[in-house]
Amino acid sequence: MMQPQQPYTGQIFHPTQTYTPTTSQPFYGNNFEDEPPLLEELGINFDHIWQKTLTVLHPLKVADGSIMNETDLAGPMVFCLAFGATLLLAGKIQFGYVYGISAIGCLGMFCLLNLMSMTGVSFGCVASVLGYCLLPMILLSSFAVIFSLQGMVGIILTAGIIGWCSFSASKIFISALAMEGQQLLVAYPCALLYGVFALISVF
Amino acid sequence: MPASKRRIPVSPPGMADPHQLFDDTSSAQSRGFGAQRGPGGLGYPAAAASPQEAFLADPVSNMAMAYGSSLAAQGKELVDKNIDRFIPVTKLKYYFAVDTMYVGKKLGLLFFPYLHQDWEVQYQQDTPVAPRFDINAPDLYIPAMAFITYILVAGLALGTQDRFSPDLLGLQASSALAWLTLEVLAILLSLYLLTVNTDLTTIDLVAFLGYKYVGMIGGVLMGLLFGKIGYYLVLGWCCVSIFVFMIRTLRLKILAEAAAQGVPVRGARNQLRMYLTMAVAAAQPLLMYWLTFHLVR
Repeated sequence: MMQPQQPYTGQIFHPTQTYTPTTSQPFYGNNFEDEPPLLEELGINFDHIWQKTLTVLHPLKVADGSIMNETDLAGPMVFCLAFGATLLLAGKIQFGYVYGISAIGCLGMFCLLNLMSMTGVSFGCVASVLGYCLLPMILLSSFAVIFSLQGMVGIILTAGIIGWCSFSASKIFISALAMEGQQLLVAYPCALLYGVFALISVF
Repeated sequence: MPASKRRIPVSPPGMADPHQLFDDTSSAQSRGFGAQRGPGGLGYPAAAASPQEAFLADPVSNMAMAYGSSLAAQGKELVDKNIDRFIPVTKLKYYFAVDTMYVGKKLGLLFFPYLHQDWEVQYQQDTPVAPRFDINAPDLYIPAMAFITYILVAGLALGTQDRFSPDLLGLQASSALAWLTLEVLAILLSLYLLTVNTDLTTIDLVAFLGYKYVGMIGGVLMGLLFGKIGYYLVLGWCCVSIFVFMIRTLRLKILAEAAAQGVPVRGARNQLRMYLTMAVAAAQPLLMYWLTFHLVR
């Protein structure tokens, strides 16, 4: 004779807990309307991306040190892809070189900035800043699609764009890490890195 | 006799408990369970159509995520602790505490060391002052940047001669690094054999030996712009400058007692040390020529 079993009222992993709908949930709700927007969940904030892009595009504007507090790798990824795409338009299939050089360059800058600054810096922050400052290089490579850069005009333009990229990158690093008197010292390795990108665009 | 317990998989869409990892089919009372849950279940329009959310909300997976992130934090701690054993990060930070003024003056000193009078490093309570404040202190920023620039300029030079390929760049880098390591080991061995009591650390030595890359870069760039004549002129000038620079700097470190008073070097022990200093200084121009002559045609 089997005894009538009690109805199972608990949950599998909680010994005795009656579920009530009003207990606070550790997750984003189980309703479709309660879910946060997809972009917020992914951490992509278009307003911040736009602000950072503007900071890069105005090299003479003073940068705010706090904009780099949230490392955002979505923007730099888009810029790297756009750079590779403009190179593709010019007939150079070199996505591998772009990614490889950016990885090595980011690693080198990360080591150097950690050694040079009082406060440390995270790898994501370095990658994010260097990726954003790649934007003028995209202009250069799209210019290379139409005109060849191997002439006096090309050399001057390349030098100007390298200077623009490294100046904005060093400006953001200096303000984010509070390093004084070292802007040129930070700009030089950035210039080396962007110089290698420019070499890929030109040759 | 109770009815046969048939397992009925129950997944009422609007009534699933969000904490439930899977459907409870443990007893025939699952129907009762569903019925019991009915009133409560209707209270909230559950999106049980998304079992993924239920998965993420479940306490076990919360625990799993917390465990995973603590594992990552532990791993990072382990790496940080161990990297300090192999690479003395705090000591290295001293060599990178530079600013633009220091770098400018040091580069000027490397190209024109003839007028500089006082080569002694200032101390502050037994520790040498940071390079920012004393131009005589060695730093690692200039040698590191000069090394990387040398590799890139070598690539540029090879490119203009149509001999460029990326693995040649790696070859240049590794051969220059190998020569540097050899120099450092040779000097350390001679310092040991001559039992020289000096406060010259290995990193100091690497810094001093890395200063010659600056002259090499200058020579190669001039060679690219003005051909062999420009290359030989600038390289000759840089060789003499680095020779004088090394003699004046190392004299203070290796021949510490004798040089401090400025007395002429006498005695076998001091003479051997003087020969060592001259040998180190003479090796610099030789290596500068050896590492750059094949880049300029």
